Amino acid sequence: MTGFLVQQLVNALTIGAIYALIALGYTMVYGVLRLINFAHSEMFMVGGHVAFFLLAATASLAGGALGVLVVFAIFVVTFIAVGLLGVGIEATAYRPLRRSSRLAPMLSALGVAIILQNVVMLFVSRRPLPFPAFVPAVSFDVFGAIVTLNQIFIVVFAVALMLGLAWFVNATTLGIRIRAVSENMQTARLLGINVNRPISLIFFIGPGLGAIAGILYSGYYGIVVFSMGFIVGLKAFIAAILGGIGSIPGAMLGGFALGLLETFGAGLLPKLTHGFIGSEYRDIFAFSVLVVVLIFRPAGFLGETVTEEGMVYKRDF
Amino acid sequence: MILDFEAVTKRFGALLAVDALSLSFRPGIITSVIGPNGAGKSTLINMCAGSYKVTSGRILLDGVELQGLKKHQIARQGVARTYQNIRLFDGMTVLQNLEVCLFPELFGKTLVEVLVPGASRAMKEKRIARCMAVLEHFGLEGHAGEFAADLSYGNQKLLEIARATILRPRVLMLDEPAAGLNHGETDRLKQTLRALARPDLIMIVVEHDMSLVMSLSDHIFVLHQGRLLFEGSPAAVQSNLAVQEAYLGSPGEIDDLREAARNRSNRVRIRAHTDIERRRPDAA
Amino acid sequence: MTSETGATTPFLPAAKSRAGRLRAVAIVAIALALLLYGVPGLPTYYVRVIDMVLIYVLLGVGLNMVVGYAGLLDLGYVAFYAIGAYTYAILASGQFDIHLPFSLLLVVGGGLAGLAGVLLGIPVLRLRGDYLAIVTLGFGEIVRLFMNNLGWMTNGPQGISRIDEPHLFGMGLNSPRDFFFLLLPFVVAALTIAWRLECSILGLGWAAIREDQDAARGIGIDTTVAKLLAFGLSATFGGVAGVIFAALQRFVDPVSFSFWESLTIVLIIVIGGLGNLVGIVVGAAVLIVVPELLREYSEYRMLLYGCALVLIILLRPRGLIERRYNPAWLMRTLGWR
Repeated sequence: MTGFLVQQLVNALTIGAIYALIALGYTMVYGVLRLINFAHSEMFMVGGHVAFFLLAATASLAGGALGVLVVFAIFVVTFIAVGLLGVGIEATAYRPLRRSSRLAPMLSALGVAIILQNVVMLFVSRRPLPFPAFVPAVSFDVFGAIVTLNQIFIVVFAVALMLGLAWFVNATTLGIRIRAVSENMQTARLLGINVNRPISLIFFIGPGLGAIAGILYSGYYGIVVFSMGFIVGLKAFIAAILGGIGSIPGAMLGGFALGLLETFGAGLLPKLTHGFIGSEYRDIFAFSVLVVVLIFRPAGFLGETVTEEGMVYKRDF
Repeated sequence: MILDFEAVTKRFGALLAVDALSLSFRPGIITSVIGPNGAGKSTLINMCAGSYKVTSGRILLDGVELQGLKKHQIARQGVARTYQNIRLFDGMTVLQNLEVCLFPELFGKTLVEVLVPGASRAMKEKRIARCMAVLEHFGLEGHAGEFAADLSYGNQKLLEIARATILRPRVLMLDEPAAGLNHGETDRLKQTLRALARPDLIMIVVEHDMSLVMSLSDHIFVLHQGRLLFEGSPAAVQSNLAVQEAYLGSPGEIDDLREAARNRSNRVRIRAHTDIERRRPDAA
Repeated sequence: MTSETGATTPFLPAAKSRAGRLRAVAIVAIALALLLYGVPGLPTYYVRVIDMVLIYVLLGVGLNMVVGYAGLLDLGYVAFYAIGAYTYAILASGQFDIHLPFSLLLVVGGGLAGLAGVLLGIPVLRLRGDYLAIVTLGFGEIVRLFMNNLGWMTNGPQGISRIDEPHLFGMGLNSPRDFFFLLLPFVVAALTIAWRLECSILGLGWAAIREDQDAARGIGIDTTVAKLLAFGLSATFGGVAGVIFAALQRFVDPVSFSFWESLTIVLIIVIGGLGNLVGIVVGAAVLIVVPELLREYSEYRMLLYGCALVLIILLRPRGLIERRYNPAWLMRTLGWR
């Protein structure tokens, strides 16, 4: 039994770390623009594909210390590439709509997501591509569970990135500007902050982290395909809501929480119901979490509860 | 008919905005609520209208408890209000802004309106006629087809008041109606408000513009730090030394400031007591 | 007519004078007559396409109530379409050997979908608009997953085939031509109802909710009831469309009810201009006919949809068809200066 539980725990943390990385992108954008960036899930997918080709191109350098350096270089390059893509999308498809209704930017984001997905499907590959494992296939026995180096790597790397981001938004001027713009864009403007820069930065970091998540995910499951962004992205967004949309620590917390809920929930359901409800209902699990959270505690774990005074003078509702 | 606040308290976390306040508002007269910023005036209106939940105490309109009701239920009890920062429906026309206020009364007939042939047009025309009459009363009929967002500020304020009164409310609460208005517009406002007074209407005005308050009101409540400091007629309030010194400053000081401001710009309004407060920190 | 903020006002009755009204009615009557006379003579393939256009008009009108009128972005509308379709499929086929009549199932399917809309709405409508989009998207997916996995009821991925031929007034509807004569009055009725709703006090209430929900409450509008009505009514339209679709196809499977369908319907009302009924008809026509014409490029259809969506939103956030009638014109016609 212990082995089973530890196994589930490790699985949960691994997928949770990935959700958390993606959720950060959603939460930062929503915090600033009140926009659900549907295209973000595709950043995750594009990141996986970019890395795929970079890895293929540098396959000859695999192995050893050089190989490790190459892999990290690929991470950096992918981060930057997808980050720039994110900035470009913001500038072309979202910025012109900043003064429009709430609906318009969301529909635009939807359109961008469709474009990205279909471009990859039509011009890269319709079929799943085999993603090379860039982490050596080493595994450890922990209390009867099998923990792979890959899983450890994912969790450690993701946490390191999250800590880096937390440091950035708390300790650097640029990061603090981002938080200021998140809190109240009008006031930030009045204080002389050029809001476009923090916003562009958010659209650089968010998608970048999503791309990293894509690489980790593809490396873990061994394939990359044009459709992988949709469901994973949706779940990551649910994680962001769970943790409190708009809150960066919330996104991290929510990611891991959703990973745990989903893994243990879907893992235990067949046992509890003797196979009546199978694991294909894993996806429904995540949606159910969403519905429950939104009904009972829409602010999530760490999100801002909209106060009464806010409602009278803001028109957010 | 009376609007009663019984030991009403409102806390925002650690901040006590209204402290066991007990007031009664009577119909047929214009009652003003004044006091420095933070005294709890707007909070009073917000609690009565249902925007804020009362921490403790009761609000009764003719014996009916308002404090637990939802916002739209309170509105249907005949409680209308205007907002400090105008909240019109920007994307709708002036006429539509008024028309939509008829919703509580006409919603029940929607089924008829939609399904019965000919009813749609007839009912619409009736509504429009009714609203145009009200607009004429406020001098806004020429702007009926314009979007509410395109009106001048003064006209927007008038429209807010028109909307609040179209269903003949029992309680009309105006939150700083003169804010941002120039001299002429304030006069027009004063006349409009005076004309609204009815024997069966409880009219409450929260304001900072002292000359407007003094010339308009029949009765004044002076609030300070969530409590009632003084109440009485305008003359009584003005001559009460405590109130005068602490919150109004001497008449001479106010006139000096007004003169200076008028020389600078026509539209600047002195918030008398706020300035005085800043110059006399010990009076807080 | 658009204001600075890009908002437009609801379509107001354009012709107020007697002559104007008669003229409008005449135009519509002539158009209908042309359709009734001309369409049945066309080859069956074309009639079938027109049938699908009409079904999508129904869907567009339905979704428009929630998105265009009340301003709530519903990304899972296909769920109601599916509920209607599967209701007919399950209760009028060999699946359980139940064979209820078409006319009854129109009501049942629409009713069930409407009920689902209200039930979905109750927990979900107090959410901020953006959350609503995600939750409705999730709901749409959940319904599809259930259709896919509840094999004993829905026959899973294989779908339900050999659905009964529908009978109305004793006649069997078995050709696209028959369905055209069924759909046309339905669509006309739907457009009329939607139009009247928009002009009614409820429509104004929805517009107010769209603008500023809190202020709407302040003037006495019970926003919960109004939004639930929008949801329920819109879902009912979807359900009815679903029943007709199942009767037309005589086959349903989960694939027809994916998120892409919801997206297509959203696109229809976006192209037409959110809230604009004429635009919905145009949008449905474009979105059904164009892919048929460009059959060889069907691969690129989704890509084009995405590009169209982005471009339209960027260029004209209120849709391609601008409203031609403005309120000031109306005022003058009524005699007020």
